[in-house]
Amino acid sequence: MKYICSVCGYVYDEEAEGIPFSSLPDDWKCPMCGAPKSLFEEEESKEKEEEIPADVIPEDGEKLSPGILAAIFSNLARGAEKQYLPHSSDLYRDIAEYFTKAVPESSKNKLEDILSSSDDELSRLYPKLRSIASSNKDRGTLRVTVWGEKVTRMIKAITEGYLKEGEDFLKNNDVWVCSVCGFIYIGNNPPRICPVCKVPDWKFERITEEAV
Amino acid sequence: MKLRAVRNLRLCTKDCLCLYVCPTGATDTEDSVIDADKCTGCGMCANACPSGAISMVPYDYPVQQKKTESVKAAILALAKSKSDNEKAALEAAENSDKPGLKKLMKAIAKSERLIAEDLMREGGYMLPQSKNSHDLLKTLIADPPSASFPLDKAKELLRLVKCNEEEHEGGRYRCSVCFTEFETEKGEEAVCPMCRAQGDDLERLKDYEN
Repeated sequence: MKYICSVCGYVYDEEAEGIPFSSLPDDWKCPMCGAPKSLFEEEESKEKEEEIPADVIPEDGEKLSPGILAAIFSNLARGAEKQYLPHSSDLYRDIAEYFTKAVPESSKNKLEDILSSSDDELSRLYPKLRSIASSNKDRGTLRVTVWGEKVTRMIKAITEGYLKEGEDFLKNNDVWVCSVCGFIYIGNNPPRICPVCKVPDWKFERITEEAV
Repeated sequence: MKLRAVRNLRLCTKDCLCLYVCPTGATDTEDSVIDADKCTGCGMCANACPSGAISMVPYDYPVQQKKTESVKAAILALAKSKSDNEKAALEAAENSDKPGLKKLMKAIAKSERLIAEDLMREGGYMLPQSKNSHDLLKTLIADPPSASFPLDKAKELLRLVKCNEEEHEGGRYRCSVCFTEFETEKGEEAVCPMCRAQGDDLERLKDYEN
């Protein structure tokens, strides 16, 4: 039997390894991307996706929340930067900053809340987006679905890991975030290429206690 | 298409061939940023550069593919969840004095923002030049969310970043391919009814009065 990492696609072949997957210790991690054992799936266990009816845009769809506006403008800042328009990029960045500050306080800021919200995304929102994107043959949206789903699995695994082990979870390791897709890696050095979006290691940012 | 040369400093190995071939001296600057005012867009520097550090970027960007309403709705629902989680993780980082947890929550907040950005890029806000991005700025300028909203910056962006999607005003056109003259309604894209030519192949007859 083969087991496949649902984050980076690494294949654990029981026959080649000589150790049954179930006999691996609980803290065994994907040698490629560091995903926990629980994120591995048996090969050929993929079910056929069912068609999910599309959501209707809500009445107040025109009113974007401050959080979404912050993301739109910080993305436009990045777009302008890539186009070598540094001044426009700064202006978009300032507007993004305004909206980031305007986001109302969260009433769900416990680790358990973050975990259940990631769960909801993985079980409900991502499958729905994937189904709608497939039926519309929207390759760009399928791409964002694949990347986002993998990164969200990692967010969920990290939250679960910390809830279980507390401060020991990090074991003196650094925390790295891929500045392109958001993939989080825990280790002394970032992976040579991002297991999700394949950019080189210098695109990873080391997260410190102070940096926002 | 009008282009200009830009240098990727990460790749530049200072072979200086760009200085030798540039007819206007645009590549020879104290900060290594190619002078856009001097660059004529000839592309000689990009062709000559041995390390592939110079590329030619356009001034105008094409109109992006349209997104269907159902895709946009599903994207918005996810982006909302992502931005809510970003805020929650930021607060969890602030409220804790444990160094490990602080780092992890900051990483999650950053990650959630990056995913939300990516989602909204696919949700119709990929290009600063797009009509969506422009319309959003216009809406915010017309009805600022609060007194501290950086209104001047939004106005400056509207001026600086050109919209790549024309508002179809309608009117009379002459096709330069087959010389057919035809009229369009407001909001309708001008396409020659005879030979399907569009864009630069059509001349808008300015003096025409409705």
